[in-house]
Amino acid sequence: MANPEKTFRAGVLSVVKHDYLPRAVAAHPRFELLVVADDADQPDWVHERNQHFADEFGIPYVRDVAKAIAEHDLDLAAVSSEAERHCDLAVRAADAGLHVIADKPMSTRLSECDQLVEAVQRNNIKFLLWNRNYLPALIQAKEVVQSGAIGELHAIHVDFYFSKDAGPPKGARQPGDLPINWLERQIEAHADGSDGGVGIEAMGELQIEGIYPLGYIRMLTGADVRRVFACTATHFHQANVDNNVDDLATVSLELDNGIVGSLCIGRIGAASHPDIGEIKIHAIGSRGGIVITEARPEVSIHYRDQPPLEFKNKRIANENDFLLMDDFARALDTGCEPILNARGGRDIAATVFAAIESGKTGQPVEVTPLK
Amino acid sequence: MSRETFPDPNAADKPKMIRLALIGASGAAEAYGAIQTRLHSASWAVFAPLNDNDSPAGQALGQATTTKSTEALFTEQANDFDAVVIDANPSQAASLAKAATTLGKPTLVGQLPGGLDVLGQAEALLMPAHTWRFLPSIQAVKRSIDAGKLGEPCLLRIHRWLPPESTPESIAERILPDTDLACWMFGGAPEKVWTLQSAANPDYIQFHLGFANDGMAMIDIAGSLPAGDSYFSLSMIGGTGAAYADDHHNMNLLYSGGQPNALRTNQGHADLTGQLQEFVDAISEEREAAVTLADTSRAAAVAAQVIESAQTKQVTEGKECN
Repeated sequence: MANPEKTFRAGVLSVVKHDYLPRAVAAHPRFELLVVADDADQPDWVHERNQHFADEFGIPYVRDVAKAIAEHDLDLAAVSSEAERHCDLAVRAADAGLHVIADKPMSTRLSECDQLVEAVQRNNIKFLLWNRNYLPALIQAKEVVQSGAIGELHAIHVDFYFSKDAGPPKGARQPGDLPINWLERQIEAHADGSDGGVGIEAMGELQIEGIYPLGYIRMLTGADVRRVFACTATHFHQANVDNNVDDLATVSLELDNGIVGSLCIGRIGAASHPDIGEIKIHAIGSRGGIVITEARPEVSIHYRDQPPLEFKNKRIANENDFLLMDDFARALDTGCEPILNARGGRDIAATVFAAIESGKTGQPVEVTPLK
Repeated sequence: MSRETFPDPNAADKPKMIRLALIGASGAAEAYGAIQTRLHSASWAVFAPLNDNDSPAGQALGQATTTKSTEALFTEQANDFDAVVIDANPSQAASLAKAATTLGKPTLVGQLPGGLDVLGQAEALLMPAHTWRFLPSIQAVKRSIDAGKLGEPCLLRIHRWLPPESTPESIAERILPDTDLACWMFGGAPEKVWTLQSAANPDYIQFHLGFANDGMAMIDIAGSLPAGDSYFSLSMIGGTGAAYADDHHNMNLLYSGGQPNALRTNQGHADLTGQLQEFVDAISEEREAAVTLADTSRAAAVAAQVIESAQTKQVTEGKECN
């Protein structure tokens, strides 16, 4: 019988971007952060960020992942590296017998996601892919759908537009200018937390953020996506143009149980919304429909000389991060699955990769099933 | 031209009053009667009811006389009006419009069927009724695009959910307004069309339109809401800005026990007013109307491609409308 009083010992395997994941681990009473660790051969900027986080929490930073795991008797690893290293660090942690919480996206390669699923199963550990399914509006959406108020779900749509800038706007590059280096741009973006795509491999918005809206769809429908038709484009940011990755995408979805849907996602620029962006869920069922604004509840705050880019509407009562950790503690205590496990994360990644391919070919693409 | 500003009624160069004839049922007479005081440079002269039962409704049009039939309108009373407004179902609208334009009468006509060949070459100004374009919310979005505030249109997203009583029977009629909005906002026909329908819900359809310069439209239309009000949301994401015309945003609350009800704030008859004034102004200014048969043809052609894609389950390459 699991001990509900047990405090799980956590290590952070790299924390180079927005650090909400390890902070959420630290903030929950069932978890204790003990160490930050990373591979020694990482570049200086990685070590600097790891050290900075470790210093803030008064914990050691060890430039040797295996050593940190061995010396600190860890129960779990919180992985918040660049996306291209998520799976490698997660698999190593799983093979060391640690449960894993990993930031999104799961990986830049579907094959690595498959390896991670296999590692989770092989080692019989729990894996949670970070998500937003415990936002208050999503909890409400789930309650409404599950109550049967709109009947059997027929179609679901998510609009997911972040109104953030990402460096110079499209068209800013002058003759003779070098293309924007993706990693350098993302390192710059760390200052305002817009560095979700940090890494050597450039990623489009569909890949960086697609897990969130696809996570909503997965949770609300309980269905897998089988086929997609997507269009991807670069409309807003020079960095995306220079690195040939999308900043706007539309994806038509065909799911199990005859459900259809769509995702429209983009990083559309700070000028294009008064707040963080337009994020909405529309769902149609046999008995009605529901329209949910993901940002609510929120409070509006306006004042003289308010900085133009400061959001006027602030989210409140957002316990997503705490509830995700609650969810993971419950999984560790009882053996149940977390709200978004390795298999679910892998299937979402497969949907994203299928959409990217569809965007290139201009044809519908079947989502690759897990072998 | 903005439909929210009006010319000075005392101006010396004001255009002559245009005498309008209305062909329609009682609902049309009441709706147009309700906006007649907002109309400039035109007034109702004759009402031709589609059915005898609708005759009394002509009183809503003020000083207008009521003729006994459309045939009488085009024969005995042909000199009593300058232009015609037709509000009839698709099976009647085209033939009535043909009769009117043959007489040389400028005509505003709704609803036109997809096949517009019956109209031939109009002998007078012919403006199809695309009332959906004249909603104040849609006009505000379009003006923002035209003023360059949003930059190049990148993504148009529409959700339109209808209860059964508001849902046209034919899929083509159902999707025509939104294929027209998409073509209008992107300034042309799509190059690519992909459609999905719900196996469980035949009254649901969603389609993607791919436009030049990587423009995209994603539209879903459901005719399966429970009886009651409808829902409409339109977002236009442009290269340098965005516009959101969303029923969700425009809801007020009614508390009458239990959970509150959401009440959509009404845009009134502004769409009808704007469309009719545009028709009148086009006549006065001797120019093409803001909506032409080419617009209807284009939207109908795209609607046909949407249906084709649904049936073939293939991406349909767009065809330019001549």
